[in-house]
Amino acid sequence: MPKFTRRSFLQQTPISAATLSLLPAAPSLAAIRQSPELAAPRWSATSNDSMVIHVNDVATGEITLLVGAQEIVLRDPGLVAYLIEAAR
Amino acid sequence: MSSHREAPEISKDPVADNTDVYAFVSPDNPNTVTLIANYIPLEGPAGGPNFFEFGDDVLYEIHIDNDGDGLDDITYQFRFQTTLQNPDTFLYNTGPINSLDDPNFNKRQFYSVTRVKNGHKAVLAEALASPPCNIGPFSTPNYAALAQEAVHRLPDGETVFAGQRAEGFYVDLGSVFDLVDLRPFQDLHINPLAAAPGVNGTNRLNVHTMAIQVPKRMLTRDGSNPTNPNDPRSVIGVYASASRRKARILGPNADIDEAGPWVQVSRLGSPLFNEVMIPLGLKDLWNTKPPKDDKEFLNFVQHQEVPQRLTEFYPGVFPNLAAYSKPRADMVAIFLTGIPAGVIPGFQNFTGKTLADLLRLNMAIPLATTPNILGILGGDLAGFPNGRRVFDDVFTIELRALAGITIPLVDPSFTPDAAASKFTDGLTPSDITSPFLANFPYLGTPYSGFDNPSS
Repeated sequence: MPKFTRRSFLQQTPISAATLSLLPAAPSLAAIRQSPELAAPRWSATSNDSMVIHVNDVATGEITLLVGAQEIVLRDPGLVAYLIEAAR
Repeated sequence: MSSHREAPEISKDPVADNTDVYAFVSPDNPNTVTLIANYIPLEGPAGGPNFFEFGDDVLYEIHIDNDGDGLDDITYQFRFQTTLQNPDTFLYNTGPINSLDDPNFNKRQFYSVTRVKNGHKAVLAEALASPPCNIGPFSTPNYAALAQEAVHRLPDGETVFAGQRAEGFYVDLGSVFDLVDLRPFQDLHINPLAAAPGVNGTNRLNVHTMAIQVPKRMLTRDGSNPTNPNDPRSVIGVYASASRRKARILGPNADIDEAGPWVQVSRLGSPLFNEVMIPLGLKDLWNTKPPKDDKEFLNFVQHQEVPQRLTEFYPGVFPNLAAYSKPRADMVAIFLTGIPAGVIPGFQNFTGKTLADLLRLNMAIPLATTPNILGILGGDLAGFPNGRRVFDDVFTIELRALAGITIPLVDPSFTPDAAASKFTDGLTPSDITSPFLANFPYLGTPYSGFDNPSS
């Protein structure tokens, strides 16, 4: 594991294709909270909307995805590790 | 101030800073209620070339609770879009602006109004024009006509306006923030000086106003027309807010990306609530909270700092107040629940046990034939804290209430100090250079930069 302090950071899209491919495949991926604005259209790979990923907690792998008017909270230590590696 | 720059974070974000909220039965159209939310504090009229404007990236809302649970039943949302007619000039206007579609009017704002009622959204209008700021006699030669052109009637019966107006909240800022050294009473202050008239610190400054006039029956919980002051259905609670998207990314080419849900950054119901009741370390938090959570702040309403400071800064002037140590139930009633029936003859604006800072208006109280700027304290049931009219002297009303004048309403054993009924910063609406209007949107014509170059 790279040296990385417990902190949050913002990462703006475009997300690499490799990262996107992780999202549906990651076995630990689980949406644990969503914002109430679920009536808004969901983000898709063809959308022009940016997606902002906020790592809430490196230790637990909790991530917030901000896309459109939505906020989706996930827990995925593997993805967090990947992002930390990409940020080195 | 009422709520101008009242909290650390919002003081750095004036475009989203909600400065005042008003709710009153329209004096010229008493079947309607006018709701006003002001933003952008202390606009110097000459502040160009990028004159003041609403934020395209801000969600502005006026909220109405009509069933006493502290939650929105009706919300009016305002969203703005700024356009440039000519991006190749540095000028706000390239010649006189004689109409809202004048080609000389370069930087324009348009807005949409959306009504959310019981969770259902309806876009009431789009691309409504705002007037320009008041630049001066050459650029905006007939400002009143421009502003009138920006009053829009909506299909469902509402009337709206969004644009610059003269600041209507009058207060002697310089004396208040110099440790409440009120000029008319500064001979009694711990740092005594000769008594002097008050000075309106907000005179010749502008704000940006969203005003909407709504038929009363569109605001009640069941569509009834409020005529009985004793009927709980006659009372609504109002507050306004501003929200920003959760994430903001600054791009390489001056582009800005935003994502995520809206996050409330400013709110306001009663004037001065966050300003003087909530301590500095919690003001930013308070701004993010919905009114229904105000029970978290109950202690600060029951045990206020202002009365303590008054007894400290005016030694010997408030002996009864100094000796009063009970929780301030009068403040809780005025600000968090409304005043129950039986306390003031012929009046109530009680909304139940839910503690929420809302501007509560009993819409069935008739218009005053002789309005008193001291509202209910002055025997005028149509004024603050029954809603708030543009001319109400909310600073003096709240100062006197905090000084103990309203304690006997809930605790007859208390005798207010003689000074409590006299304290004031010494101002009246006559200390506002641009007078209030008799008609919608009621706040005065904004001051022009040319005529007020050093405000």
